Amino acid sequence: MNRNFTSVTKYYNSDNEFCSYRVIENEITSFVPLAEDNTDYQAIQQWISEGNTVIDNN
Amino acid sequence: MAIDKVTPAALETSTNQPNFRNIIINGDMSVAQRETSQASITSSGYYTCDRWQTSIGSMGTWTQSQSTDVPTGQGFAKSLKMDCTTANASPSSGNSLVLATNFEGQNLQYLKKGTSSAESTTLSFWVKSNKTGTYIAELMDNDNSNRHINNSYTISSADTWEKKTITFAGDTTGALDNDNANSFTISFWLGGGSNYTSGTLQTSWGSLTQANRAVGQVNLADSTSNEWYVTGIQLEASDTASDFEFLPVDVNLQRCRRYFYSINAAGHSSPIDGAYNRYVSFSQSANKGKWFVQFPVSMRTNPTFTADNITSSTVEGYNYNTSGSLTFSSVAADAGGNLTKNVEITYTSGVSVGNVVTWRWNNSPNASFQFSSEL
Repeated sequence: MNRNFTSVTKYYNSDNEFCSYRVIENEITSFVPLAEDNTDYQAIQQWISEGNTVIDNN
Repeated sequence: MAIDKVTPAALETSTNQPNFRNIIINGDMSVAQRETSQASITSSGYYTCDRWQTSIGSMGTWTQSQSTDVPTGQGFAKSLKMDCTTANASPSSGNSLVLATNFEGQNLQYLKKGTSSAESTTLSFWVKSNKTGTYIAELMDNDNSNRHINNSYTISSADTWEKKTITFAGDTTGALDNDNANSFTISFWLGGGSNYTSGTLQTSWGSLTQANRAVGQVNLADSTSNEWYVTGIQLEASDTASDFEFLPVDVNLQRCRRYFYSINAAGHSSPIDGAYNRYVSFSQSANKGKWFVQFPVSMRTNPTFTADNITSSTVEGYNYNTSGSLTFSSVAADAGGNLTKNVEITYTSGVSVGNVVTWRWNNSPNASFQFSSEL
């Protein structure tokens, strides 16, 4: 299934741990965990492999 | 035959099938946690009835709904309806429209796919449309280079519920992985461009040939008058169809929640919450409340978290230490797993470390917190 990510940003929690990706897709914001069997996580890895860049504000 | 004592053996005899013989989850379309209706669908995703994914590539615009239009006297209460609102009468070669559901390989090991004992499967369902003609159903093995088998069915009478049955041969090539990933897909084609229709229909298991997937398929997207309903979908390891296996509502809902769990406010089309229900969190850092969400069933994997219409208008906080009301600012997902997720809600002010903080729906908005581990 093709995905339409507007942006993907590393999300750091209150302990400053990188614990998920903050994703904006079709104007909806989601938080995707760093779980290899999560299909959204797999889609982000595919998106990265296609040359897209994850934002890291830390 | 009168059965005066119900034993497991008697049950087995009366149904001639074990329980949970239907491979498909929510085949009666009774669960719709996300929404009961979604308009303006032009991209792929999960919209209404749980476990049913719409895959669309430039094939019109659709409203999908959980409908109460069902076949008479069959015991069904809901169906899934696709309603075309913008047509595409001349699809380009790569356009497609499919309704599909996906399965974990670990649930299908008993099909013995990839062995000489591979089981045949039979797909049965009720369908209705104004658009008569040939439609295609497809099984696909996602673990072995998308091997597939396709078969056609015909909608003979316009606007009339018809029961269809299709038996697929077992596949002696390619075992399904014994894990929680997407191994297997059942698809109902509703339209496709020449990339999918220009070959010969793949009526026996074989390697992926796109042109053989939807040969003969009518174009349901060719008119805004078109609509298509389906319910009572069952796939079972058998060369004949048995009656649809109705599950208790709670069982069906719990099975769906392995893949999607939503806490919906009272104003949502599928509410589960009363107005003003409170959820407890504590503050680990200033102006934040950490809410521990316990899932009702172990999810397939650590889920994606989405806050749908969560704003200062729909959610409000309260600090029990200061007796002060709190204004919602933002929300994010922290750590989590298959059974729990930490959700951190940030307020504009008024929270100190260690405070006990609650949030509640502000009246009855159409809003929800969603957790998805779909395939």
